[in-house]
Amino acid sequence: MSRLMPATPVARALLRSPLFAALALALAWELAVRGLAISPRYLPALSAVLRDAWSVWPQLFASFNRTLLETLLGFAAGAAFGCLAGITFSYARLMERAVFPLFVVSQTVPVVAFGALIVIWFGNSLLAKVVTAFFLTFFPVTVNTLHGLASCDPQRIALMRSFGARGPVMFFKLALPSALPQILVGLRLGIGLSLVGSIVGEWFGETLGLGVMLIEAMNSDQIVRIWVVIVACGLMGALLYSVLTLIERKIIWWRAES
Amino acid sequence: MSQLLAQSAAAAAAAVPPGAADAGMPAAEHPPPAPAAPALLELVNVWKRFGDAPRQMVAVTNVNLKIAPGEFVTLVGPSGCGKSTLFNMIAGLLAPDSDGSVLFGGAAQRDGQLLGKVSFMPQRDLLFPWRTVLDNAILALEVEGVPRRAARQRAEAMLPEFGLTGFGKHYPHQLSGGMRQRVALMRTFLFERDLLLLDEPFGALDALTRTRMQHWLLDLWTRHRRTVLFITHDIDEAIYLGDRVLVMTARPGTVKSEQRIDLPRPRDPAIVTAPEFVRIKRRLLDEIEEESRKSFLQEESRA
Amino acid sequence: MKAARILPVAASLLVLVALWQGAIAVFGIPPFVLPSLGAILKHAASEAGPLSAALGATLLEASSGYLLGALCGLLLAMLMVLVRPLQRCLMPLCVAVNSVPIVAYAPLCLIWFGMGPASKIVLIALAVGFTILVNALHGLQLPEEAAINLMRSFGASSIGIMRRLRLPAAMPSVVSGLRVAVPRSMIVAIVGEMLGAYKGLGRVIYESTQQVNLLNVWAAVLFASLASMLLYGLLVWIDRKLVWWR
Repeated sequence: MSRLMPATPVARALLRSPLFAALALALAWELAVRGLAISPRYLPALSAVLRDAWSVWPQLFASFNRTLLETLLGFAAGAAFGCLAGITFSYARLMERAVFPLFVVSQTVPVVAFGALIVIWFGNSLLAKVVTAFFLTFFPVTVNTLHGLASCDPQRIALMRSFGARGPVMFFKLALPSALPQILVGLRLGIGLSLVGSIVGEWFGETLGLGVMLIEAMNSDQIVRIWVVIVACGLMGALLYSVLTLIERKIIWWRAES
Repeated sequence: MSQLLAQSAAAAAAAVPPGAADAGMPAAEHPPPAPAAPALLELVNVWKRFGDAPRQMVAVTNVNLKIAPGEFVTLVGPSGCGKSTLFNMIAGLLAPDSDGSVLFGGAAQRDGQLLGKVSFMPQRDLLFPWRTVLDNAILALEVEGVPRRAARQRAEAMLPEFGLTGFGKHYPHQLSGGMRQRVALMRTFLFERDLLLLDEPFGALDALTRTRMQHWLLDLWTRHRRTVLFITHDIDEAIYLGDRVLVMTARPGTVKSEQRIDLPRPRDPAIVTAPEFVRIKRRLLDEIEEESRKSFLQEESRA
Repeated sequence: MKAARILPVAASLLVLVALWQGAIAVFGIPPFVLPSLGAILKHAASEAGPLSAALGATLLEASSGYLLGALCGLLLAMLMVLVRPLQRCLMPLCVAVNSVPIVAYAPLCLIWFGMGPASKIVLIALAVGFTILVNALHGLQLPEEAAINLMRSFGASSIGIMRRLRLPAAMPSVVSGLRVAVPRSMIVAIVGEMLGAYKGLGRVIYESTQQVNLLNVWAAVLFASLASMLLYGLLVWIDRKLVWWR
């Protein structure tokens, strides 16, 4: 069958690819707005959005990069801290009981409320935004690292013990590799929240960034500009998630089995 | 071959008072010391209780046994009889209750001392999915401290013996059940310890693969001259493989009886239909039947 | 037993309080940078009336958005599982919409739905809805084909399979999503209110920031945090009562 229609498997693969989905979505957007005559106040046509994006391209490009930098730095800090915290809590139960509840409570505090305070403490700088991003990132990474380490197969632990394995050997050869899939789930949650943190952080006293562009557009009632920022944020989000997925595939190839 | 037979016969004779095995009495209480080579493993009055009174559960009670070096001893019993608990104690993962002790090479072992002294293969292959076949095989060696390259070379040399030539760089999910079990066995053999504990290693395999693996295991045992303690619920397997078969009772588990297997080595798989074999099997079946029924009733009463 | 669990937290809380007050005393930190805990509590007590009213407004938005979002998310997930082609069409859209951080939608909601509670409710519903959608989709698709085929051999329809097999299997994932969504809905409510609202804690925080009344900001945050924790505790309690038999 496939030899009669060689194009079909290839065509099918193309149909499934995310690129096609994105193109289809873009097309649907444009056609829907035109066809259904949706008011530009609600949903401007994709072409209008792209035109506006092009008109402020230098600022958009610079803002994108700035927000990306804040996000990556905040994520790196939050992920490192979260992993270490998770590992510490996993091996020192007392620390977990003492400090983890504080971590939980910290997430009920709306960091956005402290925007002005953060600027007072850290100045109108990159650091302030990184701190905001860090604040949102560390918790999901901690929780998932803890969970991943806790779900290590007890039978494999017993096997390692029967070989005479102890502490660090057990950790590096068994606990950590087996926790990696769950840790990566945490990293995925973390990077999305890091982006949120950067944007929110930029609302207070910054001059460059996607969050800044968002507020400016809102204040001047520029709907199309808002959509430009939404699309830019979406692209950044998609970019970050796919990079993470690629890394995941490299590190945890064995997921194919379990 | 006959040397081995004589050795194990002597050990068996020393461990069980004459006539006790046939009469189905529990294995000796404090048997006379063995005149032959000292036992590699000895269990004296080993108990294991879980929980506190009144809801205490006795898994293992008053187990006494001796394993001589080079022996192949099989252990059969109904499910839930405490076989795995016993194994965990011999591997050092659980400590026996203070009224009994486990002696290894003549020395009584304190809590945790046995860890790393015995090569233990649990029921599941427990291969690490993120390691290749070769790296899984050298896992115990790595823990021991053998440098990776040397360990890998040793494992590489053993691949043909385990029928895994060319699969060194494969991952567990790419292998069949039988092959994974062989990798686990390779890991067990590479960990060079005198005593091997195999907990139903062939349980999950189909009948044909199992027969092949049994034959091949005996080959391996003969060549490497290790001591093996092997748990199974399959009587045929127990008789085919063992120099001695120990029958365990239903919970609380103790050694009900011991049966010396005088069948000549090397053993052909066809021996399972030999009259000698069948006679031994019939005797063991009766004992196990009784215990299985007890175990079944225990489960029923619990439900 | 209970003491063993509470003691460590209590100890670290004390350490935190000590560090806080100690830092203020040792470094002579001015109150507008970091007020003392006593000052915050006193202010919160004196402003309890207006703050509670604001909290009430925020809670109303948060809970409405939460319920709306959870319901829509679950229903949409069930629909997508029942109608495969729908899932294939909608998934790229869902992924795209979900890639955008929820705060980016806030200005749109405000412009479309005005400054009243409706805009916040929609925003929260969107945030919660997506969380529940993702979790529910994962949970509903957990049962293996063998189990589904078994149900079919009993003559079960798609809806029957959904009811008896998929929904129960999805419960742990959905509940996990519901728990995560509780503090999230409070925070999204406050973010939305800070951008534009007539009432609510976010509005209070915004105004206080403008007036540089930072003590009020701290007091409002205290109220928000406590409310969030109480709500979360409530959900855990409900969860335990309902699902305890499992």
